[in-house]
Amino acid sequence: METRRRITVALAGNANVGKSVIFNQLTGLDQVIGNWPGKTVERAEGTLHYHGYTVKILDLPGIYSLSAFSIEEIVARDYIATERPDVIVNIVDASALERNLYFTIQLLELGAPMVMALNQVDFAAKKGIRVDSEKLSKALGIPVVPTVAITGTGMDELLSTIVKVLEGKIKLTPLKIRYGKEIEDRLEKLELTIREKLPDLSAKYPARWIAVKLLERDEDMMKKVKDSAPGLEISALASAIAEEIERIHGEPSPVVIASERYGIASGMARDVAHIETPPKLRLEEKLDYITAHKVLGYPILALVMAAMFATIFIIGDILVNALENLFENMLIPAILDLLSAALPPALVNLVSKGFLSGIAAGVTIALPYIVPFYIILSILEDTGYLPRVAFLLDNPMHKIGLHGKASICLLLGYGCNVPACIGCRIMETQRERLLGGFVTVLIPCAARTVVILGLVGRYIGIPAALGLYAFDLFLVFALGRVGFKALPGEPVGLIMEMPPYKMPSMKTVARKTWARTRDFVYIAFPLIIAGSLVLEALAVTGLLWSIADLMNPLIVGWLGLPSIAGIPIIFGILRKELTLILLADLSGTLNFGQVLSPVQMIVFSLVTMIYVPCIATIAALVREFKWKKALAISIIDILLALLVGGVAFRLLSYF
Amino acid sequence: MSIEPQLLELLELIGTSEAQNKPVRPDELAHELGCSLEDLEKLLENASKKGLVERIADMWRLTERGRIEVQSHRERYIHEKYGHKPGFLGRVTRFIDGSIQDWRGHWRRRHGLDENSLKGFYKNIQDLEGRVEETSSLIELYPGERGVIAFALGGYGLVRRLADMGLTPGTEVTVIRNAPFRGPVEVSVRGVSLALGYGVASKVFVKRSKGTD
Repeated sequence: METRRRITVALAGNANVGKSVIFNQLTGLDQVIGNWPGKTVERAEGTLHYHGYTVKILDLPGIYSLSAFSIEEIVARDYIATERPDVIVNIVDASALERNLYFTIQLLELGAPMVMALNQVDFAAKKGIRVDSEKLSKALGIPVVPTVAITGTGMDELLSTIVKVLEGKIKLTPLKIRYGKEIEDRLEKLELTIREKLPDLSAKYPARWIAVKLLERDEDMMKKVKDSAPGLEISALASAIAEEIERIHGEPSPVVIASERYGIASGMARDVAHIETPPKLRLEEKLDYITAHKVLGYPILALVMAAMFATIFIIGDILVNALENLFENMLIPAILDLLSAALPPALVNLVSKGFLSGIAAGVTIALPYIVPFYIILSILEDTGYLPRVAFLLDNPMHKIGLHGKASICLLLGYGCNVPACIGCRIMETQRERLLGGFVTVLIPCAARTVVILGLVGRYIGIPAALGLYAFDLFLVFALGRVGFKALPGEPVGLIMEMPPYKMPSMKTVARKTWARTRDFVYIAFPLIIAGSLVLEALAVTGLLWSIADLMNPLIVGWLGLPSIAGIPIIFGILRKELTLILLADLSGTLNFGQVLSPVQMIVFSLVTMIYVPCIATIAALVREFKWKKALAISIIDILLALLVGGVAFRLLSYF
Repeated sequence: MSIEPQLLELLELIGTSEAQNKPVRPDELAHELGCSLEDLEKLLENASKKGLVERIADMWRLTERGRIEVQSHRERYIHEKYGHKPGFLGRVTRFIDGSIQDWRGHWRRRHGLDENSLKGFYKNIQDLEGRVEETSSLIELYPGERGVIAFALGGYGLVRRLADMGLTPGTEVTVIRNAPFRGPVEVSVRGVSLALGYGVASKVFVKRSKGTD
């Protein structure tokens, strides 16, 4: 029997270079997506088998530098430096060689064994850029494999190159990065001192890299150095040298070092890339011109969003009806028949009402909207439209202390708050993420839209429903501003790459949708089912009615709603659209006009729209921001809903 | 002490020629300023009476006071453009800022710049080639205009992040488009398109290149 060797390969590169596409091509569906331990940074891992090797592939976060600006950067560099994967595949966008090589240079400085995948060579060629991969390979001293990730071209060669490097059939002679004399001399001195005085740390990280990071005034490395024995002395020496460099160049020392790296990158890019005159205005550029236009951009954005949600609701509706039919008329009765034969009726009731209807609700109500939403989202993402959205909406987002990228989270929120909360990771700092999460959960998701349209839209009119949406946006901005002022820290400005438009690949879209749906099911379903069971248990034991009675002063007295509205609102924590279904069940009619007055409808919708995001969203909040903050956000939302509902009831009753 | 604009321009010109170690002839000075030789004489006389310039070996040089004057002029100019504060309140604070004496303290307190960034900034405006008026912030460029980055003025974090994205001093950038209402600016740098928020872009100072694409 052949013995399989286990190896680890890490994929590293800038964002938007097709890294995740290569990851998907290599690993297929065999991937585990989770978090880095203790960090809210996605960790994607997959396995593949190749010529007697079991290759574990790890997709590092897409970053532009190995400085310590974002959590992603720290995660990536700590992984490479301390876990030492067998090979690093540096994925490089051939059409933006200079900027990508800047990152490559930093990887070389970390001294990891490396293979380069020169990706998107087809796209570069379309832009008139031809890269001589052999020349590049010679210049860097590492193998360079041209690839086109979307079609899978070059994947096999990439794998065989990785194996050859491991087996020593290809020798790596990585380029030594040398800086200008005034930096290099000082750097060598510092490196020597570090090697001598900090043997422990230099066993963990390359000494030269530590020296470079110290000269870059890297906080994370400074801290690590200071924590070790003669560290204070070293960090003082490093700061003195950095100051010397600053005096000579008149720029902060990290900027000087970045400039030099870019100097090397740009020289190399000029050497290996052959630039032909690009063809005239291509379709992508025309699209770019129109969609980011200062006037036309906005109506197009509105149209895209309208089309997106119309599609989601139309497809979702069809799916809901079909699936409901399947579950209620066929699957559930069949299962119940089977169960009744073995279990006592009370237990059967609990299982059917709690467990089965929990699953049924998840599958029949949540998924039909979520899956089309994910498909469209992936398409928008892969074409490169989302950065244009962020570009157009940057300014209003600044009013609440966020920047353009946050608008993407808010838009996601209209589909479902769960991915929107997780999507807040695109923001750079923890402060921004928290603020983003806080406002995102106030956005009425598809389920809340069902309630608003089904109640206010249907019985009072569409203008009133739109009014509720407008009010919600106002709330988002008002609360965002409060959060912005209340949270300590400076807001971060927008610095974002605008990738060129690309044709999305259906295969990638399908894979992304699958991975995200699975993720959603993992987060949401256990809680939906557990919640259903608990509530059903409360109902069976009769406790629910006591709770409803206790809530009467609030529901009837403060909000002015009929007493039966309390129960749907409690159940709404599971899924917001359930409030409407339960209201129908409890009142025994589908004509809500007989049950609620127009004012009550508005109050009911308002409360449903604002109070705690559903349990799945709370789970997402916990995952992103930990218990305390998730709880705080939920409580704020409940109080806010009650306040707004009560005030609205009193104000509207005057008319 | 308030100094008329033409005199300041003269000081700028002399300062630049000193920094570049290229003495300028009086007729060149007059040409740059767009005045006659006699007017220039009068200006120089006026300046030396105020103790701003001195004549050493047939060359006009800035005195210490002149240098300080040029520096604070440059500071004021950059400050006008730095991190624009829109609206009425902004205008009021700018009005008050008009009489700033302690610039260092102002940058530190109002704009949160630390000593390190300030050191770099002062060296930058000292080494500025040409008059400070040739420097503009990125938000002032129209789509299609190009400029070479002179410096970015901001906290360490911002400047470093900009450098990581390829916006290092000496790099040429082309403005692709601006979003309306003080929205971001899209620039092309090192073959990549980047969107910079209005606040960020207003902290990046460039020297306009002649001609557009």
